[in-house]
Amino acid sequence: MEIKRLLSDLQDFYALSWRGLAGIVRRPFYYKDALIQMDYAGAGSLLIVVIVDLFVGMALSLQLSAELSNLGMKMYIGMIVGISVVRELGPVVTALVFTGRVGAGMASELGTMVLGHQVDTIRVFGFDPVKKLVTPRVVSSLIMLPALTIIGVAVSLLGGYYINVFVSHQSGTFYWSSIRNILTTENVLAGAIKPFVFGYLIAVICCYTGLSTRGGAVGLRQSTTMAVVLSIVMIIISDFLLTRVLLYVLGFSV
Amino acid sequence: MIVLDRVSFSYGARRVLRDVSVSIGFGERVVILGGSGEGKTTILRLILGLLSPDAGRILIEGEDITGKGDGALRDVRMKFSIVFQEGALFDSLDVKENVAYCLREYTSMSDEEIEARVREILASVGVEQAIHLMPEELSGGMHRRVSIARALALSTPKMFLYDEPTTGLDPVNADNICRLIADLSKDGKGFIMVTHKVSDALKVADRYIFLKDGALLFDGTGRELLHSDIPGIRVFVAEVCPPGPDCAEEQGGKHV
Repeated sequence: MEIKRLLSDLQDFYALSWRGLAGIVRRPFYYKDALIQMDYAGAGSLLIVVIVDLFVGMALSLQLSAELSNLGMKMYIGMIVGISVVRELGPVVTALVFTGRVGAGMASELGTMVLGHQVDTIRVFGFDPVKKLVTPRVVSSLIMLPALTIIGVAVSLLGGYYINVFVSHQSGTFYWSSIRNILTTENVLAGAIKPFVFGYLIAVICCYTGLSTRGGAVGLRQSTTMAVVLSIVMIIISDFLLTRVLLYVLGFSV
Repeated sequence: MIVLDRVSFSYGARRVLRDVSVSIGFGERVVILGGSGEGKTTILRLILGLLSPDAGRILIEGEDITGKGDGALRDVRMKFSIVFQEGALFDSLDVKENVAYCLREYTSMSDEEIEARVREILASVGVEQAIHLMPEELSGGMHRRVSIARALALSTPKMFLYDEPTTGLDPVNADNICRLIADLSKDGKGFIMVTHKVSDALKVADRYIFLKDGALLFDGTGRELLHSDIPGIRVFVAEVCPPGPDCAEEQGGKHV
Protein backbone atom coordinates (compact mmCIF):
# COMPACT_ATOMS: atom_id res chain seq x y z
CA MET A 1 0.00 0.00 0.00
CA GLU A 2 2.85 2.38 0.89
CA ILE A 3 4.65 1.60 -2.39
CA LYS A 4 1.45 2.21 -4.32
CA ARG A 5 0.99 5.56 -2.58
CA LEU A 6 4.63 6.51 -3.21
CA LEU A 7 4.30 5.70 -6.91
CA SER A 8 1.06 7.67 -7.09
CA ASP A 9 2.76 10.67 -5.38
CA LEU A 10 5.69 10.44 -7.79
CA GLN A 11 3.33 10.36 -10.75
CA ASP A 12 1.50 13.43 -9.43
CA PHE A 13 4.82 15.19 -8.83
CA TYR A 14 6.06 14.55 -12.37
CA ALA A 15 2.71 15.64 -13.82
CA LEU A 16 2.77 18.88 -11.81
CA SER A 17 6.42 19.51 -12.72
CA TRP A 18 5.68 19.15 -16.40
CA ARG A 19 2.44 21.15 -16.36
CA GLY A 20 4.08 23.89 -14.28
CA LEU A 21 6.81 24.25 -16.91
CA ALA A 22 4.55 23.83 -19.93
CA GLY A 23 2.32 26.60 -18.55
CA ILE A 24 5.04 29.07 -19.52
CA VAL A 25 4.20 28.65 -23.20
CA ARG A 26 0.49 27.86 -22.94
CA ARG A 27 -2.30 30.41 -22.62
CA PRO A 28 -3.59 31.99 -20.46
CA PHE A 29 -0.53 33.82 -19.09
CA TYR A 30 -0.68 35.25 -15.61
CA TYR A 31 1.96 37.98 -15.96
CA LYS A 32 0.89 39.88 -12.86
CA ASP A 33 1.09 36.78 -10.66
CA ALA A 34 4.57 36.05 -12.01
CA LEU A 35 5.70 39.64 -11.35
CA ILE A 36 4.43 39.47 -7.76
CA GLN A 37 6.32 36.21 -7.24
CA MET A 38 9.46 37.64 -8.83
CA ASP A 39 9.34 40.63 -6.51
CA TYR A 40 8.99 38.36 -3.50
CA ALA A 41 11.67 35.91 -4.64
CA GLY A 42 14.17 38.35 -6.14
CA ALA A 43 14.04 41.76 -4.50
CA GLY A 44 12.97 40.20 -1.21
CA SER A 45 15.92 37.79 -1.14
CA LEU A 46 18.61 40.21 -2.31
CA LEU A 47 19.86 41.36 1.09
CA ILE A 48 20.16 37.88 2.60
CA VAL A 49 21.90 36.55 -0.54
CA VAL A 50 24.39 39.43 -0.43
CA ILE A 51 25.15 38.90 3.26
CA VAL A 52 25.53 35.10 3.02
CA ASP A 53 27.61 35.12 -0.18
CA LEU A 54 29.83 37.94 1.08
CA PHE A 55 30.77 35.97 4.18
CA VAL A 56 31.17 32.72 2.23
CA GLY A 57 33.64 34.48 -0.08
CA MET A 58 35.51 35.97 2.85
CA ALA A 59 35.67 32.67 4.76
CA LEU A 60 36.87 30.79 1.68
CA SER A 61 39.58 33.35 0.99
CA LEU A 62 40.66 33.25 4.63
CA GLN A 63 40.91 29.45 4.68
CA LEU A 64 42.89 29.41 1.44
CA SER A 65 45.17 32.15 2.69
CA ALA A 66 45.95 30.17 5.85
CA GLU A 67 46.83 26.99 3.93
CA LEU A 68 48.52 28.48 0.87
CA SER A 69 50.77 30.77 2.94
CA ASN A 70 52.43 27.62 4.35
CA LEU A 71 53.21 26.57 0.79
CA GLY A 72 54.22 30.06 -0.34
CA MET A 73 51.42 30.07 -2.93
CA LYS A 74 49.18 32.90 -1.71
CA MET A 75 49.17 34.39 -5.20
CA TYR A 76 46.81 31.58 -6.23
CA ILE A 77 44.06 32.66 -3.84
CA GLY A 78 42.28 34.65 -6.53
CA MET A 79 42.26 31.80 -8.99
CA ILE A 80 41.01 29.21 -6.51
CA VAL A 81 38.42 31.53 -5.00
CA GLY A 82 37.24 32.40 -8.50
CA ILE A 83 36.87 28.83 -9.68
CA SER A 84 35.24 27.68 -6.42
CA VAL A 85 32.76 30.53 -6.33
CA VAL A 86 31.86 30.67 -10.02
CA ARG A 87 31.54 26.93 -10.61
CA GLU A 88 30.36 25.63 -7.26
CA LEU A 89 29.82 27.72 -4.16
CA GLY A 90 27.99 30.67 -5.72
CA PRO A 91 25.20 28.64 -7.34
CA VAL A 92 24.85 26.14 -4.47
CA VAL A 93 24.93 28.60 -1.56
CA THR A 94 22.54 30.98 -3.31
CA ALA A 95 20.17 28.08 -4.07
CA LEU A 96 20.24 26.97 -0.43
CA VAL A 97 19.44 30.49 0.76
CA PHE A 98 16.68 30.68 -1.88
CA THR A 99 15.23 27.40 -0.60
CA GLY A 100 15.18 28.60 2.98
CA ARG A 101 13.50 31.88 2.20
CA VAL A 102 11.49 31.48 -1.00
CA GLY A 103 10.90 27.72 -1.16
CA ALA A 104 9.64 27.52 2.42
CA GLY A 105 7.43 30.53 1.69
CA MET A 106 5.97 28.87 -1.41
CA ALA A 107 5.16 25.64 0.45
CA SER A 108 3.60 27.34 3.47
CA GLU A 109 1.61 29.83 1.37
CA LEU A 110 0.18 27.15 -0.92
CA GLY A 111 -0.43 24.84 2.06
CA THR A 112 -2.39 27.58 3.81
CA MET A 113 -4.37 28.18 0.62
CA VAL A 114 -5.23 24.46 0.45
CA LEU A 115 -6.35 24.33 4.08
CA GLY A 116 -8.33 27.57 3.72
CA HIS A 117 -10.15 26.26 0.60
CA GLN A 118 -8.60 29.04 -1.48
CA VAL A 119 -7.22 26.51 -3.97
CA ASP A 120 -10.68 24.93 -4.24
CA THR A 121 -12.09 28.42 -4.81
CA ILE A 122 -9.66 28.93 -7.69
CA ARG A 123 -10.76 25.60 -9.21
CA VAL A 124 -14.44 26.46 -8.82
CA PHE A 125 -13.84 29.83 -10.49
CA GLY A 126 -12.61 27.90 -13.51
CA PHE A 127 -8.88 28.54 -13.18
CA ASP A 128 -6.25 25.84 -13.46
CA PRO A 129 -4.46 25.96 -10.08
CA VAL A 130 -1.23 24.72 -11.67
CA LYS A 131 -1.23 27.56 -14.22
CA LYS A 132 -2.42 30.13 -11.70
CA LEU A 133 -0.22 29.13 -8.76
CA VAL A 134 2.65 26.89 -9.89
CA THR A 135 3.70 28.36 -13.25
CA PRO A 136 4.22 31.92 -11.89
CA ARG A 137 6.43 30.46 -9.15
CA VAL A 138 8.39 28.36 -11.66
CA VAL A 139 8.90 31.45 -13.86
CA SER A 140 9.93 33.50 -10.86
CA SER A 141 12.48 30.90 -9.71
CA LEU A 142 13.86 30.35 -13.23
CA ILE A 143 14.53 34.08 -13.60
CA MET A 144 15.35 35.25 -10.11
CA LEU A 145 17.63 32.46 -8.88
CA PRO A 146 20.11 32.90 -11.78
CA ALA A 147 19.95 36.68 -11.27
CA LEU A 148 20.59 36.31 -7.54
CA THR A 149 23.39 33.84 -8.28
CA ILE A 150 25.17 36.39 -10.50
CA ILE A 151 24.92 38.98 -7.72
CA GLY A 152 25.94 36.38 -5.11
CA VAL A 153 29.01 35.34 -7.11
CA ALA A 154 30.07 38.97 -7.57
CA VAL A 155 29.67 39.68 -3.87
CA SER A 156 31.57 36.50 -2.92
CA LEU A 157 34.46 37.57 -5.16
CA LEU A 158 34.39 40.99 -3.50
CA GLY A 159 34.55 39.31 -0.10
CA GLY A 160 37.51 37.27 -1.30
CA TYR A 161 39.15 40.45 -2.57
CA TYR A 162 38.75 42.16 0.81
CA ILE A 163 40.47 39.30 2.68
CA ASN A 164 43.12 38.90 -0.02
CA VAL A 165 44.11 42.58 0.10
CA PHE A 166 43.47 43.73 3.66
CA VAL A 167 44.18 40.53 5.64
CA SER A 168 46.56 38.51 3.46
CA HIS A 169 48.21 41.67 2.11
CA GLN A 170 48.28 40.46 -1.49
CA SER A 171 47.95 42.53 -4.64
CA GLY A 172 44.36 43.43 -5.50
CA THR A 173 45.27 43.94 -9.14
CA PHE A 174 46.71 40.45 -9.35
CA TYR A 175 43.57 39.06 -7.60
CA TRP A 176 41.26 40.59 -10.21
CA SER A 177 43.59 39.56 -12.98
CA SER A 178 43.40 35.94 -11.73
CA ILE A 179 39.61 36.19 -11.58
CA ARG A 180 39.49 37.54 -15.13
CA ASN A 181 41.66 34.66 -16.32
CA ILE A 182 39.38 31.99 -14.88
CA LEU A 183 36.23 33.58 -16.34
CA THR A 184 36.45 31.39 -19.42
CA THR A 185 33.38 30.22 -21.31
CA GLU A 186 33.78 26.72 -19.84
CA ASN A 187 33.99 27.94 -16.24
CA VAL A 188 31.12 30.36 -16.61
CA LEU A 189 28.92 27.73 -18.30
CA ALA A 190 29.81 25.18 -15.60
CA GLY A 191 28.32 27.56 -13.03
CA ALA A 192 25.64 29.31 -15.08
CA ILE A 193 23.55 26.26 -15.95
CA LYS A 194 23.13 25.17 -12.33
CA PRO A 195 20.88 27.97 -11.04
CA PHE A 196 18.27 27.24 -13.73
CA VAL A 197 18.11 23.59 -12.69
CA PHE A 198 18.12 24.46 -8.99
CA GLY A 199 15.44 27.12 -9.45
CA TYR A 200 13.15 24.71 -11.28
CA LEU A 201 13.68 21.97 -8.70
CA ILE A 202 13.00 24.30 -5.76
CA ALA A 203 9.83 25.68 -7.36
CA VAL A 204 8.25 22.34 -8.31
CA ILE A 205 9.22 20.55 -5.09
CA CYS A 206 7.95 23.34 -2.87
CA CYS A 207 4.76 23.86 -4.89
CA TYR A 208 4.02 20.14 -4.92
CA THR A 209 4.52 19.69 -1.17
CA GLY A 210 2.52 22.86 -0.49
CA LEU A 211 -0.41 21.74 -2.64
CA SER A 212 -0.29 18.28 -1.03
CA THR A 213 -0.84 19.71 2.46
CA ARG A 214 -3.42 17.88 4.52
CA GLY A 215 -4.41 17.93 8.16
CA GLY A 216 -4.28 21.43 9.65
CA ALA A 217 -1.34 23.12 11.39
CA VAL A 218 0.60 19.89 11.87
CA GLY A 219 0.18 19.01 8.20
CA LEU A 220 1.36 22.49 7.22
CA ARG A 221 4.46 22.14 9.39
CA GLN A 222 5.20 18.74 7.87
CA SER A 223 4.77 19.91 4.29
CA THR A 224 6.94 23.01 4.80
CA THR A 225 9.68 20.95 6.46
CA MET A 226 9.44 18.35 3.71
CA ALA A 227 9.69 21.06 1.03
CA VAL A 228 12.88 22.53 2.49
CA VAL A 229 14.55 19.19 3.26
CA LEU A 230 13.71 17.67 -0.13
CA SER A 231 14.86 20.79 -1.96
CA ILE A 232 18.19 20.89 -0.12
CA VAL A 233 18.84 17.20 -0.72
CA MET A 234 17.91 17.51 -4.39
CA ILE A 235 20.11 20.60 -4.83
CA ILE A 236 23.13 18.79 -3.40
CA ILE A 237 22.53 15.59 -5.40
CA SER A 238 21.78 17.42 -8.65
CA ASP A 239 24.82 19.64 -8.09
CA PHE A 240 27.04 16.56 -8.04
CA LEU A 241 25.38 15.07 -11.11
CA LEU A 242 25.51 18.37 -13.01
CA THR A 243 29.15 18.88 -12.07
CA ARG A 244 29.99 15.41 -13.34
CA VAL A 245 28.13 15.92 -16.62
CA LEU A 246 29.26 19.51 -17.19
CA LEU A 247 32.93 18.75 -16.53
CA TYR A 248 32.70 15.94 -19.08
CA VAL A 249 30.74 17.93 -21.66
CA LEU A 250 32.88 21.06 -21.31
CA GLY A 251 36.07 19.05 -21.73
CA PHE A 252 37.62 19.32 -18.25
CA SER A 253 39.94 16.44 -17.34
CA VAL A 254 39.34 15.02 -13.85
CA MET B 1 -31.29 18.86 -11.89
CA ILE B 2 -28.48 17.62 -9.66
CA VAL B 3 -28.53 13.86 -9.23
CA LEU B 4 -26.45 11.80 -6.85
CA ASP B 5 -26.93 8.17 -7.84
CA ARG B 6 -25.87 5.59 -5.21
CA VAL B 7 -22.82 7.65 -4.29
CA SER B 8 -20.27 6.33 -1.83
CA PHE B 9 -17.16 8.16 -0.65
CA SER B 10 -14.34 7.48 1.82
CA TYR B 11 -11.47 9.50 3.24
CA GLY B 12 -8.89 6.73 3.46
CA ALA B 13 -10.37 4.02 5.68
CA ARG B 14 -13.18 6.27 6.97
CA ARG B 15 -16.39 5.78 5.02
CA VAL B 16 -18.26 9.07 4.83
CA LEU B 17 -21.10 8.44 2.38
CA ARG B 18 -22.79 5.11 1.64
CA ASP B 19 -25.06 4.64 -1.34
CA VAL B 20 -26.54 8.12 -1.11
CA SER B 21 -29.13 8.84 -3.80
CA VAL B 22 -30.82 12.22 -4.02
CA SER B 23 -32.09 14.60 -6.71
CA ILE B 24 -32.16 18.36 -6.27
CA GLY B 25 -33.65 20.86 -8.70
CA PHE B 26 -31.74 24.05 -9.49
CA GLY B 27 -34.53 26.22 -8.14
CA GLU B 28 -34.92 24.40 -4.85
CA ARG B 29 -33.95 25.82 -1.45
CA VAL B 30 -32.35 22.86 0.28
CA VAL B 31 -30.57 22.44 3.59
CA ILE B 32 -28.39 19.43 4.31
CA LEU B 33 -28.35 18.75 8.04
CA GLY B 34 -26.32 16.38 10.11
CA GLY B 35 -23.67 16.15 12.77
CA SER B 36 -19.98 16.87 12.27
CA GLY B 37 -18.20 14.44 9.97
CA GLU B 38 -21.41 13.08 8.44
CA GLY B 39 -20.39 14.03 4.89
CA LYS B 40 -22.42 17.23 4.42
CA THR B 41 -19.53 19.30 3.02
CA THR B 42 -18.35 16.28 1.06
CA ILE B 43 -21.63 16.34 -0.90
CA LEU B 44 -20.98 19.95 -1.95
CA ARG B 45 -17.45 19.08 -3.02
CA LEU B 46 -18.73 16.07 -4.98
CA ILE B 47 -21.32 18.21 -6.77
CA LEU B 48 -18.54 20.60 -7.86
CA GLY B 49 -16.27 17.75 -8.92
CA LEU B 50 -13.64 18.75 -6.34
CA LEU B 51 -13.85 15.13 -5.16
CA SER B 52 -14.63 12.01 -7.13
CA PRO B 53 -16.89 9.34 -5.59
CA ASP B 54 -15.60 5.84 -4.86
CA ALA B 55 -18.81 4.44 -6.31
CA GLY B 56 -21.95 5.80 -7.95
CA ARG B 57 -22.55 8.67 -10.37
CA ILE B 58 -23.12 12.41 -10.15
CA LEU B 59 -25.16 14.04 -12.90
CA ILE B 60 -25.54 17.79 -13.38
CA GLU B 61 -28.34 18.59 -15.84
CA GLY B 62 -27.94 15.11 -17.28
CA GLU B 63 -24.16 15.33 -17.71
CA ASP B 64 -22.21 12.68 -15.84
CA ILE B 65 -19.35 14.54 -14.14
CA THR B 66 -17.98 11.54 -12.27
CA GLY B 67 -14.20 11.37 -12.46
CA LYS B 68 -13.83 14.32 -14.85
CA GLY B 69 -10.85 16.66 -14.59
CA ASP B 70 -10.77 20.40 -13.85
CA GLY B 71 -10.74 21.37 -17.54
CA ALA B 72 -13.82 19.33 -18.42
CA LEU B 73 -15.69 20.55 -15.35
CA ARG B 74 -15.25 24.24 -15.93
CA ASP B 75 -18.64 24.81 -17.59
CA VAL B 76 -20.40 22.71 -14.96
CA ARG B 77 -18.77 24.66 -12.13
CA MET B 78 -19.80 27.98 -13.66
CA LYS B 79 -23.42 26.98 -12.93
CA PHE B 80 -22.66 27.23 -9.21
CA SER B 81 -21.32 29.76 -6.77
CA ILE B 82 -19.96 28.41 -3.53
CA VAL B 83 -19.32 30.12 -0.24
CA PHE B 84 -16.89 27.96 1.70
CA GLN B 85 -16.82 27.71 5.46
CA GLU B 86 -14.76 30.64 6.85
CA GLY B 87 -15.17 32.44 3.51
CA ALA B 88 -11.94 31.33 1.79
CA LEU B 89 -11.03 34.90 0.82
CA PHE B 90 -7.57 35.37 -0.68
CA ASP B 91 -5.41 36.65 2.20
CA SER B 92 -3.04 38.62 -0.03
CA LEU B 93 -5.82 40.63 -1.71
CA ASP B 94 -8.03 43.32 -0.21
CA VAL B 95 -11.82 43.09 -0.32
CA LYS B 96 -12.05 44.96 -3.63
CA GLU B 97 -9.58 42.64 -5.36
CA ASN B 98 -11.18 39.54 -3.85
CA VAL B 99 -14.56 40.50 -5.28
CA ALA B 100 -12.96 41.64 -8.55
CA TYR B 101 -10.94 38.42 -8.92
CA CYS B 102 -13.05 36.85 -11.65
CA LEU B 103 -13.98 40.18 -13.24
CA ARG B 104 -10.32 40.88 -13.97
CA GLU B 105 -9.79 37.45 -15.49
CA TYR B 106 -12.98 36.94 -17.46
CA THR B 107 -14.07 40.42 -18.52
CA SER B 108 -12.46 43.34 -20.31
CA MET B 109 -13.90 45.90 -17.89
CA SER B 110 -11.79 48.95 -17.10
CA ASP B 111 -10.55 49.62 -13.56
CA GLU B 112 -13.30 52.22 -13.05
CA GLU B 113 -16.00 49.83 -14.26
CA ILE B 114 -14.68 47.07 -12.02
CA GLU B 115 -14.62 49.35 -8.98
CA ALA B 116 -18.18 50.49 -9.67
CA ARG B 117 -19.34 46.88 -10.07
CA VAL B 118 -17.55 45.80 -6.89
CA ARG B 119 -19.09 48.69 -4.93
CA GLU B 120 -22.52 47.76 -6.26
CA ILE B 121 -22.15 44.12 -5.20
CA LEU B 122 -20.70 44.99 -1.81
CA ALA B 123 -23.58 47.40 -1.23
CA SER B 124 -26.05 44.65 -2.09
CA VAL B 125 -24.66 42.50 0.73
CA GLY B 126 -24.23 45.44 3.10
CA VAL B 127 -20.45 45.77 3.38
CA GLU B 128 -19.55 48.56 0.96
CA GLN B 129 -17.57 50.32 3.71
CA ALA B 130 -15.12 47.37 3.79
CA ILE B 131 -13.95 47.77 0.19
CA HIS B 132 -10.36 48.66 1.03
CA LEU B 133 -9.91 46.39 4.06
CA MET B 134 -7.79 43.24 4.07
CA PRO B 135 -9.50 39.92 4.96
CA GLU B 136 -7.81 39.77 8.38
CA GLU B 137 -9.40 43.13 9.26
CA LEU B 138 -12.94 41.83 8.72
CA SER B 139 -15.27 40.50 11.40
CA GLY B 140 -16.70 37.00 10.96
CA GLY B 141 -20.00 38.31 9.60
CA MET B 142 -18.30 40.71 7.17
CA HIS B 143 -16.01 37.91 6.03
CA ARG B 144 -19.01 35.77 5.01
CA ARG B 145 -20.72 38.71 3.33
CA VAL B 146 -17.65 39.53 1.27
CA SER B 147 -17.38 35.86 0.34
CA ILE B 148 -21.01 35.92 -0.80
CA ALA B 149 -20.27 39.13 -2.74
CA ARG B 150 -17.38 37.43 -4.50
CA ALA B 151 -19.67 34.53 -5.43
CA LEU B 152 -22.07 37.05 -6.98
CA ALA B 153 -19.45 39.03 -8.88
CA LEU B 154 -19.05 37.42 -12.25
CA SER B 155 -22.29 36.01 -13.44
CA THR B 156 -25.65 34.91 -12.30
CA PRO B 157 -25.13 31.32 -11.13
CA LYS B 158 -28.00 28.88 -11.33
CA MET B 159 -27.44 27.76 -7.77
CA PHE B 160 -25.59 28.83 -4.64
CA LEU B 161 -23.79 26.39 -2.40
CA TYR B 162 -23.23 27.49 1.20
CA ASP B 163 -20.90 25.53 3.45
CA GLU B 164 -21.74 26.26 7.09
CA PRO B 165 -22.36 29.96 6.39
CA THR B 166 -23.39 30.83 9.96
CA THR B 167 -20.92 28.75 11.93
CA GLY B 168 -18.94 30.80 14.42
CA LEU B 169 -21.19 33.85 14.13
CA ASP B 170 -23.17 35.49 16.92
CA PRO B 171 -26.99 35.15 16.67
CA VAL B 172 -27.46 38.63 15.17
CA ASN B 173 -24.86 38.13 12.43
CA ALA B 174 -26.11 34.58 11.79
CA ASP B 175 -29.62 35.96 11.39
CA ASN B 176 -28.36 38.62 8.97
CA ILE B 177 -26.58 36.02 6.86
CA CYS B 178 -29.72 33.86 6.79
CA ARG B 179 -31.73 36.90 5.69
CA LEU B 180 -29.20 37.58 2.92
CA ILE B 181 -29.32 33.95 1.75
CA ALA B 182 -33.12 34.08 1.68
CA ASP B 183 -33.06 37.40 -0.25
CA LEU B 184 -30.66 36.04 -2.87
CA SER B 185 -32.99 33.14 -3.56
CA LYS B 186 -36.10 35.29 -4.02
CA ASP B 187 -35.82 35.42 -7.81
CA GLY B 188 -36.18 31.66 -8.08
CA LYS B 189 -32.51 30.86 -7.70
CA GLY B 190 -31.95 27.82 -5.58
CA PHE B 191 -29.34 26.95 -3.03
CA ILE B 192 -27.95 24.06 -1.08
CA MET B 193 -26.89 25.05 2.40
CA VAL B 194 -24.93 22.74 4.64
CA THR B 195 -25.26 23.35 8.36
CA HIS B 196 -25.70 21.65 11.68
CA LYS B 197 -27.70 24.57 13.09
CA VAL B 198 -31.37 23.62 12.78
CA SER B 199 -32.50 27.05 13.95
CA ASP B 200 -30.74 28.71 10.97
CA ALA B 201 -31.85 26.02 8.54
CA LEU B 202 -35.51 26.56 9.39
CA LYS B 203 -35.26 30.23 8.46
CA VAL B 204 -34.30 29.75 4.84
CA ALA B 205 -35.17 26.42 3.24
CA ASP B 206 -38.14 24.51 1.85
CA ARG B 207 -36.55 21.09 1.79
CA TYR B 208 -34.42 19.37 4.42
CA ILE B 209 -32.06 16.44 3.98
CA PHE B 210 -30.64 14.76 7.05
CA LEU B 211 -27.49 12.65 6.95
CA LYS B 212 -26.62 10.11 9.60
CA ASP B 213 -23.76 7.61 9.51
CA GLY B 214 -23.14 8.41 5.85
CA ALA B 215 -26.68 7.55 4.79
CA LEU B 216 -29.68 9.67 3.93
CA LEU B 217 -31.92 9.43 7.00
CA PHE B 218 -34.57 12.01 6.09
CA ASP B 219 -35.71 14.04 3.08
CA GLY B 220 -38.73 16.29 3.52
CA THR B 221 -40.19 19.65 4.52
CA GLY B 222 -39.48 21.63 7.67
CA ARG B 223 -42.78 20.61 9.21
CA GLU B 224 -42.07 16.94 8.50
CA LEU B 225 -38.60 17.35 10.00
CA LEU B 226 -39.96 18.79 13.22
CA HIS B 227 -42.70 16.15 13.42
CA SER B 228 -40.30 13.34 12.68
CA ASP B 229 -40.17 10.59 15.27
CA ILE B 230 -36.81 9.26 14.02
CA PRO B 231 -34.66 9.25 17.21
CA GLY B 232 -31.53 10.70 15.51
CA ILE B 233 -33.54 13.64 14.20
CA ARG B 234 -35.52 14.20 17.38
CA VAL B 235 -32.27 14.70 19.29
CA PHE B 236 -31.04 17.11 16.63
CA VAL B 237 -34.13 19.31 16.44
CA ALA B 238 -34.68 19.37 20.19
CA GLU B 239 -32.70 22.62 20.49
CA VAL B 240 -35.35 24.57 18.57
CA CYS B 241 -38.33 22.38 19.16
CA PRO B 242 -38.68 20.47 22.41
CA PRO B 243 -41.12 17.53 22.28
CA GLY B 244 -44.73 18.73 21.92
CA PRO B 245 -47.13 19.46 19.05
CA ASP B 246 -47.31 23.26 19.36
CA CYS B 247 -43.67 23.92 18.73
CA ALA B 248 -43.58 22.00 15.47
CA GLU B 249 -46.57 23.97 14.17
CA GLU B 250 -44.94 27.25 15.12
CA GLN B 251 -41.47 26.50 13.80
CA GLY B 252 -42.10 24.47 10.66
CA GLY B 253 -41.00 26.40 7.59
CA LYS B 254 -40.78 29.74 9.38
CA HIS B 255 -38.73 31.81 6.96
CA VAL B 256 -36.94 35.01 7.85
